[in-house]
Amino acid sequence: MVSRVFGPALTIVCGAAFVALMGYLLHQQPAPALAAAPQGASDPHHVFLHLSTYPDSLAGEHGKDGSPEPDWVSYGPTTTLTAPRNSLVTVTISQYDGGEAITNPWFAQVHGTIGGTETVDGKPVTKIDPETVGHTFTIHAAPTAQDPLFVSAPLPAVPDDAPLAPGSAYPKPIEVTFSFRTQGPGKYVWNCEFPCGDGTYAKFGGPMSTRGWMSGTLTVT
Amino acid sequence: MSETELTRKASHWWQSEDARLLGGLWAVFTVLGVIFALIVPDHLMGRSASNTMTEVERTFTAFSVASAPVAAVVWALLVYSLWKWRRRGDWTPDDPDGPPLRGHGWATGLWMFASSALCLFLLVWGLAALSSVDSPATASTPLEIDVTGQQWIWTFSYPDNGGVESEDLYLPVNRPVVFRVTSDDVIHSFWVPAMGIKVDANPGMTTTTQTTPDRLGVYHVKCAELCGLLHADMETDAHVVSSADFDSWASAQGGSQ
Amino acid sequence: MTVAETYKTDPVKGGPDGGIMRRLNVGTGIAAGIILAFVAHRVVGHLADDHVHQVDVRATATMVGWAIGFMAGLGAFTGPFRWMVGKDLTHADELFLAGKDQGIGRYFRFTTDHKVVGIQYLVLTMVMLGAGGTMAMLIRTDLISPNSGFLGPQTYNSLVGLHGLTMILATIIMVTGPFGNFVVPLMIGARDMAFPRLNALSLWLLVAMLPVLYSAAFLGGIPMGWVGYTPIADQGPAGVDAYMVAILIFAVSTAVAGANITTTIVTMRARGMTWTRTPIFVYGVLASVVLALPAFPMFMAAEILLLVDRLMGGGFYVPNRGGQPWLYQNLFWLMGHPEVYVILIPAVAALMELTAVFARKPLYSFRVAVLSIIAIVGLSVTVWAHHMFASGWAPDLNGPFMLTTEMISIPTGGLFLVILGTLWRGRIWTTLPLMCTYAMLWNFIIGGITGIYLSDVPLDYQLHGSMFVTAHFHYTLMGAGLTGAIGAMAYWFPKMTGRMLGKTSGFVSFWLVQIGFNVTFLGMFMVGMEGQPRRVVHYDAAYHTGNLISTIGAYFIGTGMLILLYDVIASWHHGAVAPINPWGAKTLEWTVPNPVPLENFAVLPVVTEDAYGYGEPAEAEPAPVPARVGAGSDQGEGAMT
Repeated sequence: MVSRVFGPALTIVCGAAFVALMGYLLHQQPAPALAAAPQGASDPHHVFLHLSTYPDSLAGEHGKDGSPEPDWVSYGPTTTLTAPRNSLVTVTISQYDGGEAITNPWFAQVHGTIGGTETVDGKPVTKIDPETVGHTFTIHAAPTAQDPLFVSAPLPAVPDDAPLAPGSAYPKPIEVTFSFRTQGPGKYVWNCEFPCGDGTYAKFGGPMSTRGWMSGTLTVT
Repeated sequence: MSETELTRKASHWWQSEDARLLGGLWAVFTVLGVIFALIVPDHLMGRSASNTMTEVERTFTAFSVASAPVAAVVWALLVYSLWKWRRRGDWTPDDPDGPPLRGHGWATGLWMFASSALCLFLLVWGLAALSSVDSPATASTPLEIDVTGQQWIWTFSYPDNGGVESEDLYLPVNRPVVFRVTSDDVIHSFWVPAMGIKVDANPGMTTTTQTTPDRLGVYHVKCAELCGLLHADMETDAHVVSSADFDSWASAQGGSQ
Repeated sequence: MTVAETYKTDPVKGGPDGGIMRRLNVGTGIAAGIILAFVAHRVVGHLADDHVHQVDVRATATMVGWAIGFMAGLGAFTGPFRWMVGKDLTHADELFLAGKDQGIGRYFRFTTDHKVVGIQYLVLTMVMLGAGGTMAMLIRTDLISPNSGFLGPQTYNSLVGLHGLTMILATIIMVTGPFGNFVVPLMIGARDMAFPRLNALSLWLLVAMLPVLYSAAFLGGIPMGWVGYTPIADQGPAGVDAYMVAILIFAVSTAVAGANITTTIVTMRARGMTWTRTPIFVYGVLASVVLALPAFPMFMAAEILLLVDRLMGGGFYVPNRGGQPWLYQNLFWLMGHPEVYVILIPAVAALMELTAVFARKPLYSFRVAVLSIIAIVGLSVTVWAHHMFASGWAPDLNGPFMLTTEMISIPTGGLFLVILGTLWRGRIWTTLPLMCTYAMLWNFIIGGITGIYLSDVPLDYQLHGSMFVTAHFHYTLMGAGLTGAIGAMAYWFPKMTGRMLGKTSGFVSFWLVQIGFNVTFLGMFMVGMEGQPRRVVHYDAAYHTGNLISTIGAYFIGTGMLILLYDVIASWHHGAVAPINPWGAKTLEWTVPNPVPLENFAVLPVVTEDAYGYGEPAEAEPAPVPARVGAGSDQGEGAMT
């Protein structure tokens, strides 16, 4: 009896082990998260995030040489973000990249932020020039999210002729700041809605369609 | 007596034991199937939020009820054959064969007639439902909304309200609405499950779908065509509100009423 | 004069029979493939100067180089090459190619014997089902909870697409490949197929295709489902090139196999085997390839246009260059709908064949069976746009396509009638093959009825692109198709391997698979009707119950299929030795000894009646017995009494 069960049982174990191995090799391994945190000893429900957008992958989460796609534009230092629930989140993005005319001008407007505005280099605006957009930072809901969250902040383009900042490989960035509120816990996604995946159809391939470059997650804990 | 002779002894086919037991089984399975058809689909599809969805649920239930006797025939024959004619143990070459029945013309004819009649019923029902869904007779002019799918967000534009744009869909209750759907990049599919409407969003083309929402509430708008990385996240909300609330929403967005 | 005596050509001087073929096998094929892939990668890298398309051009060239190199290194081109240089293959060479006196090594070379090719197809199918099944387990594990985070979206989308394509390709070949090759020539009383070298070619092309297909995993994956809709296919990374090249290879393989099988069945049936006496399984295989022959070139055309788009900046599917994504959908579904009948018809025909045997009765209404198959083949090319009801393409055609689609239910019902009529008043032996018939009837009635819902346009507007569709096609292609293939395998296993399949393991596997299958896909009907879209890596919390049920059912399927795998391997190795005709069947393949001799029949049989004479009084001599034909009879090995 035991010998008749042994063969099938061994096959099942080997099959399950193979599936487990494939699962282990393929499972999602996000980079360590950047957590929105309060500044100093001030209000614990007001947290801050600092991100940057780069014209290449050398400064993001991809390592010094930017592999495997050094030419791809990228967010940094990581695209995996967390923020606490029921808080005011202030995001500052240093935008180092150039840009051009956006395909859908709706995303050149600010949506979902406190007051419906963002500050660009200190000046509050409700939208930016749709002809010179660098990227956007757009948070939208995964279907499992409990509370809806939609925020879209357009990031103006650095002019093509801007000089490099001293001691840096990049020009002086444009600083964009905006705030939004989180509600209950949930998992959200964010991505850039200005297609810049050159060479791909509708420019939405390449970095636009790859986690870790122009797309990431926001977990409200 | 051989089995073939036994069947000749019954003077009419409906008097044979096989036919009676089978008929009984068929009746039981049909009843179970009809009960299932009347309860389960409506429960799963949820409460309808538009006239279109009401039609969809009615059609689903009607087709399920019509299919119940068909499925019941198959189930009855499966169960009956295993109960009545199954041989135990292993076959050996000494076992006799079954009766050499190669086909009854009338049984085949009846089966073909019944399946053709059922097919015709489905077709007529389907064409009628299709014409009411695709070109509904509406009393008032429909509200036109432009829907744009972009990887991976839906945006809605209201030309009738001064070009208001939003990523949430707002609809006034009981007013027919026509959606003109397109895409800025790849193929998406604009789907509001609670309202039973879906049409693909194609780049370079505009497709249309229409309905009349008839229940207040918040419903999901989903993308039903794999469109890349965040296809699963391409969802937003459809708010069906009263006419007054819709007008004030449009004004608050900076549009006209 | 015997046929062998006509081969008086000089053998190739100075070498044993087979020439260079003696040294070529799958190992040399792999080596040559890698070398040519490397060469292509280097050379084309210099030719393609456009940075934007360079990655795709290079990837495509590398894969094509691999395929050609593999086939050349395997010896697939030896026949035409020898003809070109004036040294035709001799009869002895061809016997070597057929695997004469080679033992187990013949399974690892370009062997032309249809029996060897059949076994190779069986192993290939099992490998592909294993790969696709592994992917299914991973997909279902990710969906065990609403946002499990097990797989990232890119990985998940690629797995869904690769699972779909792997399973579609596997189910296309799973009956016609192993059993169309091994059984059909025996069943029609022939010594081999019409074109033995093309037979081996069609199999080895598929072996070449597999590394190409799975290289997509290392090239960024595929962002679209197995259907490969444009323009997202235009947008995707180099994994899409792997997808395209794999399909081009598959299309060539299918065209070659289709031509071979059609010619064999039409021209090589034994004397006396009129169309009325041809077994229904032969009809099923013939119908499948007759449908595949026009259909798969449409898929190939669709992919070639995509290749031009991706590699050369063409605009077939890109709107701002004058292209039209609907073109792809039409070309694809012109293949895609006939293709599901390519999958289904041979599986159901195999079940019809074996049901007569295990009910010990003639096949009920043979003519209805044949006419139903023909009607399905004819109608299946008229229904393709029912996959496009929600696309917005040609709304005026929705009504006519609804008509043709609903009409297909009539001949499909005819197939049900034949099987149910065969079971009626039979003496039913519930062996594993016959249990597969019962399972198929249960699964296909559900799959067929849910297909009716989808054929109704307003219902399809709601259900298209939801998990309801996924459940429907799994019920038909897996519940009917794969179940039929398992039944066919269990039925012909004694003839193909000379052993009996283990009974207990077989039944345990059967119940695990069938119950698991129904649990899995009933759960999917549920969430589809509740509103869950297809191909989503996470879903609304409201759909958790249905998905959990589906995942648990899927694990049962996986367990059951692993037990079946064990049963096949163990029985093949040390199962009970099978008698020549363990089921008492009346078709010709059961008249040859185990193991089946190289040239099948000592004397080609003459057929005097059909194979369904159960319960009918015996004739003066039982059919089909090989008559003492005068000229050309050589006794050879395996003489029968």
